[in-house]
Amino acid sequence: MRNLTLLLFAVVTSITALAQNVILKPESDITVIPVNEKKQLVVKAFDNDGNELKGGDFRYFAVQLKGVAKNMIFSKGLDVDSVGMADATAVGEYDVMVIRVPEKGEDFARIMHKVRVVNQEVAEISATGHPDPIYAGTIATLNVVVKDKSGTVVENPEVAAISSNSEVLEVDNLYNVFALKPGKATVTFKTGELISKLELEVLDNPVADIKIEVDQTTARTGDVLSFYCSLTDKAGKKISDIPIQYTVQGVASEPGSGSAATILGNRFVAEKAGTYVVTASTGGISSSKAIKVVDRGIAREVNLKGHGSVSDQHTSDLWVWEGIDGKDYAVTGTWGSNGKAYFWDVTDPTSITKIDSVQVDARTVNDVKISEDGRTCVISREGASNRKNGIIIIDVSNPRDVKILAEYTDRLTGGVHNLFIYKNHVYALSNSERYEIINIENPKKPKRVGQFVLENSAKSIHDVWIVDGIAYSSNWADGVAMVDVGNGVAGGTPEKPVEIARAHIFGDANHAAFPYHSKETGKKYIIAGDEIFPLAAMESTNFEEVFIPAGYLHFIDITDPENPMEVARYEVPEAGSHNYWVEDDMLYIGYYNGGLRVVDISGDLMGDLYKQGREIASYKPYDPKGFVPNSPFVWGAQPHKGHIFFSDFNSGLWSVQVEPIVPQDTKIETR
Amino acid sequence: MRLIILITAVLISNLGLAQNYYVYVTAESEDEVALIKFDGKTATADKTIRVGYKSVEIEGPHGITVAPDGEHWYLSMAHGNPNGLIYKFKTGTDEVVATTELGLFPASMQISELTGFLFCVNFNLHGEMVPSTVSVVEPNTMQEITKIPVGTMPHGSRISPDGKFQYSVGMMSGDLVEINAMSLEVSRVLPLDEMEMDHSKMNHGEMNHDEMDRSKMNHGNMDHGAMKHSKTKPTWVQPHPTNGNIYVAGNGTDEILEISSSEWKVLRRWSTGKKPYNLDITPDGKKLIVSYKGEGATGIWDIKKGVELKKISNSRLVSHGVAISPDSKYAFISAEGKGGEPGSVDVIDLKRLEKVASVNIGKQAGGIAFWKMD
Repeated sequence: MRNLTLLLFAVVTSITALAQNVILKPESDITVIPVNEKKQLVVKAFDNDGNELKGGDFRYFAVQLKGVAKNMIFSKGLDVDSVGMADATAVGEYDVMVIRVPEKGEDFARIMHKVRVVNQEVAEISATGHPDPIYAGTIATLNVVVKDKSGTVVENPEVAAISSNSEVLEVDNLYNVFALKPGKATVTFKTGELISKLELEVLDNPVADIKIEVDQTTARTGDVLSFYCSLTDKAGKKISDIPIQYTVQGVASEPGSGSAATILGNRFVAEKAGTYVVTASTGGISSSKAIKVVDRGIAREVNLKGHGSVSDQHTSDLWVWEGIDGKDYAVTGTWGSNGKAYFWDVTDPTSITKIDSVQVDARTVNDVKISEDGRTCVISREGASNRKNGIIIIDVSNPRDVKILAEYTDRLTGGVHNLFIYKNHVYALSNSERYEIINIENPKKPKRVGQFVLENSAKSIHDVWIVDGIAYSSNWADGVAMVDVGNGVAGGTPEKPVEIARAHIFGDANHAAFPYHSKETGKKYIIAGDEIFPLAAMESTNFEEVFIPAGYLHFIDITDPENPMEVARYEVPEAGSHNYWVEDDMLYIGYYNGGLRVVDISGDLMGDLYKQGREIASYKPYDPKGFVPNSPFVWGAQPHKGHIFFSDFNSGLWSVQVEPIVPQDTKIETR
Repeated sequence: MRLIILITAVLISNLGLAQNYYVYVTAESEDEVALIKFDGKTATADKTIRVGYKSVEIEGPHGITVAPDGEHWYLSMAHGNPNGLIYKFKTGTDEVVATTELGLFPASMQISELTGFLFCVNFNLHGEMVPSTVSVVEPNTMQEITKIPVGTMPHGSRISPDGKFQYSVGMMSGDLVEINAMSLEVSRVLPLDEMEMDHSKMNHGEMNHDEMDRSKMNHGNMDHGAMKHSKTKPTWVQPHPTNGNIYVAGNGTDEILEISSSEWKVLRRWSTGKKPYNLDITPDGKKLIVSYKGEGATGIWDIKKGVELKKISNSRLVSHGVAISPDSKYAFISAEGKGGEPGSVDVIDLKRLEKVASVNIGKQAGGIAFWKMD
């Protein structure tokens, strides 16, 4: 009863305290500050009767809006010091938390104050990007930019554009200039009271004849054809440097498919078989060429060869290698379970046999890799009971009797999600922040020699893959970083890695990267994969609900590494990309719920490879005895000696074989 | 609101009515949170809530706290890209209300009833021995207001009874840090090691962490082996509800430190079981409950006498978090387990000093927070 009395007394005291309210009020509901200017924020304190309270210690904090659920990721455009001096550096709306540390006997009070940073008065309109000279009968698109007095670009400005002589040229509201006939005209741009003028002269187009050419007039879907034109003037003299516009029209053979062909610049590709006409035009004259496109016709059957079942837990990554005894082996990891990795004899892919295992202090062995000489395996740890995680180095000289050589945890305690082995060094991810580089020349005594950290604030690295001394790290919103770790192109070493270039990947979901050099075209690519899970999964509390992943593979042309360009994609609808491998112009993909996918990536690449029929084969591993029965969820794939091995999250290790190509004139005899 | 809950608890307790107790518990290697119901005899997992959004990556729900008004619970997710997130859920329906990004490995947290701010330590368990921060979040809008620099690997985040101060301990820097919950700045720091630290190879006097540019630091050339970290390795801090003292778990030295908040010095050090990890104090102020991570047990201490009344084995080997019912009758202990083992929650009767119930949950049971009695 004494307790109760005390508590009731406390409640009364508490209510009394609440009555002593302090109310904070800013000078205005919203403080407006022109960008690149500073302004002192002023908030005052009042009591319940409206009397201003002097004293108290005011503190100001600019709030960074961040989050995932609503994709709220903003760069900070407003700095506020502790006494409320606001420095506006980017247009937008910001919140500022204002706190009043009370005088003795007063209540604590706080308020969230809205600050709107706006552009200063507009000061400049620029229109660039038109060819010089402009020839009659061509179209040019202007890049119109408005800046304010501080030099800050005004987003989405309303700018009217008017031609002074619509017989010479016309301009539309998207700033396309249609050059009609020779002459001069002024284009006037107006936003608010600000006016800018652009003098343009349209010259006579000298082209009298145009003839479109292409090396072949029949193609398969997915083949990229480059068109070119020969231009001549009235005198029959060849001319060049005249803008040419290419267009395509036509109908796919398959009903309901529409045109299904694309031309970018002078490069053409079709997604569906049909007859297409490509037209080149300039100065009111044109030339056309018809192209017959046939189905790529590369689909092949996949035959199941073997299955090494793992039905009591999830399976993660795999690696297949030729052992030092000449036989073939595989290692697979496990996920969200008891820290096991399994070793398999896959010499006979029809008879995958589990031959050994290790169990380490972990819940997830997410990644497994084998050294080039086939003697050393390194596995990653997450969920170790002592929270040290790190990596485990294993002697796999005899895969039937593997032996743990060392545990290495230094600076890897947050968990290792992915790793790679290259020339006696392990490149191990440390909590998405960096990769640590560890020398394993003596695998019993691993030694740290370096690290790589992205030079930006996000520092989010997810995976690393190394070919020819260049490490390709996958970094979500930061794209793919190419780092010299021994190639020599930038003087990098494992001790001192040097970043060569960075490729941004559209969608900001870069999860994996694999370099590909097309010997046929001489082009170099990074195949950059997404991993995307729906945000709905975060907001769901229905444990049984199945969320379908998304994402695709992006083909980045890095032939000129200074100017990487995203040129193609492979995207399976309603499925999510994961890990993959390239060998001999063939791409082998673990496409999660989309199963295994085998894709022809030979020749030039442009557009949507899936829609172009470049998929050779697919296979979904349904296993009624799987950890989750009949739920294909392919983690990664690796070709090995004519077979494809892949690990499935719910059912273990599989091997399949794609049927060989049968020449069309070969007669198949049956008994 | 907390007072009303306490009054309700006392009333129910005094009237001798049957009651149910509810705690939320994280399963860090399962990406789940379990709602445990204990009816005085049996503990059951009343509900399992899936958390996170990456189906094939463990995001690691670690810290959990229930708002003083009981309307929402907050969850820190350790692993992100690379920063972790904090989630806000509605209690009962367990719907996600909002999220925001904090720092590296956000962990334990609590809300100050005085200021309304949530304080969450950024534990940064990723191996780089650098000072970290405490994030301050405005829970209504779920906006991070500021990050306050503190020591290395801050853990435990508990608010003084009057709501004016937040306390955390630097597991590797070996200090107790007091933050003024109103001005949002560090008010006092107390080194906890008894001169064991060898800082001869580190010149802290020259260091200005506020102006450090980590991108220009070459950690690869740092001799981490020569750096000596806290021997005490404090992992948790708990202010006493009434006596003005603060209790710290010395995970590295197997001891509890009793610290006077007014004198700002260590008053007593009690030898404990192996690796004391988390602490909580009964609302009546009489007992201190300590999880012993190194031996899978829980110690129950008489605070006044500084004596361990009993040590009770937990259902799993790696004991983790402690939560206590408002009526001071029961302690709820989460135990992580190892590898593929399930996690567990043990219920200890604090009067009988014995384990009275246990329930399995997902792997690596960790953060635990009391929700309500009914």
